[in-house]
Amino acid sequence: MERLLRVLPHSVMLVVAGLRYGAATRIDAETGGRIGPAVWPKAIIVFMGLLCAYEIVKRLVVRTEFTATGVVSNMERTVPSPGSPSALEEGRGEGHHRMLFGGIALIAGYVFAVPWLGFFPATAIFLALFPRVGGLRKPVVSLVVSLAGTLLLAFVFLKLAYISLPLGEGPFRALSLGLMRLIGVS
Amino acid sequence: VEFLAGLGGGFAAIFTPVNLLVLTAGLVLGMLVAVLPGLTLVMGVVLALPFTYKMGVGPALILLTAMYVAGTYGGAITAILFRIPGEPMDVPLLWDGYAMARRGEAALALGWALVAAFVAGVFSWAFMVALTQPLAAVALKLSTPEYFAVVFFGLASVVTLSGASMVNALISLCLGLLIATVGIDAIYGAERFAFGLPFLQDGIEFLLVMVGAYGVGEVLTRMSTGFASGGAETGGKARFATSFPRWGEMMKMKATFARGTIAGLLVGVVPGAGATVSSFIAYGIENQYGKSRHKLGEGAPEGIVAAKSAATASVGGAFVPLLAMGIPGSGATAIILAAFLLHGIQPGPQVFTKSPELINLIFAAVLMATIGKCILGYFAIRPLCKVLEAPEAIVSAFVVVFCFVGALAQRNSLPDLYVMSAFGLIGFLFERFKFPLAPLVLGTILGPIAEANFMTTMVSFDNDWTVFFTRPISAAILALAVLGLAWPVIKAAIAHFRKAPSSGQTQAP
Repeated sequence: MERLLRVLPHSVMLVVAGLRYGAATRIDAETGGRIGPAVWPKAIIVFMGLLCAYEIVKRLVVRTEFTATGVVSNMERTVPSPGSPSALEEGRGEGHHRMLFGGIALIAGYVFAVPWLGFFPATAIFLALFPRVGGLRKPVVSLVVSLAGTLLLAFVFLKLAYISLPLGEGPFRALSLGLMRLIGVS
Repeated sequence: VEFLAGLGGGFAAIFTPVNLLVLTAGLVLGMLVAVLPGLTLVMGVVLALPFTYKMGVGPALILLTAMYVAGTYGGAITAILFRIPGEPMDVPLLWDGYAMARRGEAALALGWALVAAFVAGVFSWAFMVALTQPLAAVALKLSTPEYFAVVFFGLASVVTLSGASMVNALISLCLGLLIATVGIDAIYGAERFAFGLPFLQDGIEFLLVMVGAYGVGEVLTRMSTGFASGGAETGGKARFATSFPRWGEMMKMKATFARGTIAGLLVGVVPGAGATVSSFIAYGIENQYGKSRHKLGEGAPEGIVAAKSAATASVGGAFVPLLAMGIPGSGATAIILAAFLLHGIQPGPQVFTKSPELINLIFAAVLMATIGKCILGYFAIRPLCKVLEAPEAIVSAFVVVFCFVGALAQRNSLPDLYVMSAFGLIGFLFERFKFPLAPLVLGTILGPIAEANFMTTMVSFDNDWTVFFTRPISAAILALAVLGLAWPVIKAAIAHFRKAPSSGQTQAP
């Protein structure tokens, strides 16, 4: 089971390569005898598929530890490294799955909320919730950061950088327009 | 004389109030990005790009260039004082810089880093100014097979110089090249991998890949190991001062300065390899050939000088292929390329005749930013370090918001937001399963250039693929690329077969 998991990424890539090859065979163009637009992607897909197959066979069938690594990887192994590498890394650990999945869910929610709520209301909610998911247990700080941050971002993006961002629908559109009026954007 | 007059014009253009303001803003932002461990230099430059959309091309280039230059220094301060590398390129500084700080020589360690950044910065600027125009003149004479070979060399080098398994690096590169093929083909107008979706017919912008993979992907990677709660502690015994080494000490180390600078320049010139690779390579060279190699890792200034001079010199090197051939030499120069393209200018040999003032402006901006970075690095250590106290969870929340703006700002298209977010997840999975990101991103950037030159060659030479190997320049460059790819494999195979008989392991195929 463990070995199967080790080849999972390469197996997924191999499936992707297979699907892409199938799609590449449907690329259609009148080339007049010259090289066609499918040749370049097909060559890349075949090469990628071979690499994935090599890695799967190596790990599952031949079971060798042989791996060629890039130059920097070799350098990292030859240079001395006294003590642990970084003070910040010391505070980290493995397996913060709840935080990770919470973060992914929040980012996905933010992506789908932006068209409905508009960029700034969605951002205010995101800025309030994300630090909490990230482990910050200071609700007042999160709230202040959310409100002040959203106003500051609105000022920077709308007033200084003139970036057009989604305003949302229905009442949220009115809210976005109100915010724009508040910071002096007509 | 004409060249010097043009260069003078570039400096004169910098000294306008708006450009000076933009330069200062770029320096401060670059330093902040470099100091904060959650923000990488490339990510910072990517996130600054949307702010340049409404700017003129000159201020846009100054802002991004200043960020790039300043971003190669800020992380040194936190690596030396707090054992927190702001950037991956600053990891070698932990080994000697922090060791010096523990001995009570933090100020001197910062002094060595600052001197290395200044000396290498000025030399790499001179190298860039001297080499770019002649290389552009040569590039004008090159044909599509040679251009293809140069791009192939860049793609191969990012695999060769990666810090991961070469098979994984090659798979990552292939995926990047495939992403670049999505959309309408430039030669025949055929639809490829768009599946009838209008937003895919326009192709996938490499900026979306970069913003997603480097921005959202990095945030998710940090979440998977847990954010540092409450930021870093910056008070206590750390001294926020810089003290310079004596002239005699610096002269004793001139070979180290030279090795680091040359390594940085050469690695910088190679498309795809940037400051991090330069820094590690220069440290490795010093570790093998330096006079004080046995002291490296125990707080030797040579380690700081080698790594910092290489990282700094890589900036000048990376600008050379961008300006002379339109091929970005690093992640940050890829964004500067995007800034050029957004303003309707294609960097390359033609720019020297059509818009030479832009080239001179960049030359001037690099030198002014190098000087400004050193001034800021000397006087602003304490406020820069204060930034570290910001909780990582809040910094990361803003990174995600900036990524969203980066995705939306260019075309105000919601599908772009979805694509960027998808690449955020892909970036995280790549990190998780040890597939390097740099080949994926570089494949997306250089893929269209490689394909266009490959296809044009094949059409022009009646589908004769041997032309790549019969023309001496392209054959030599391709041979070098293949040799570079083969060398780590051969080395690993020799090591494996030597080890295998003693350990009784299964043989490699």
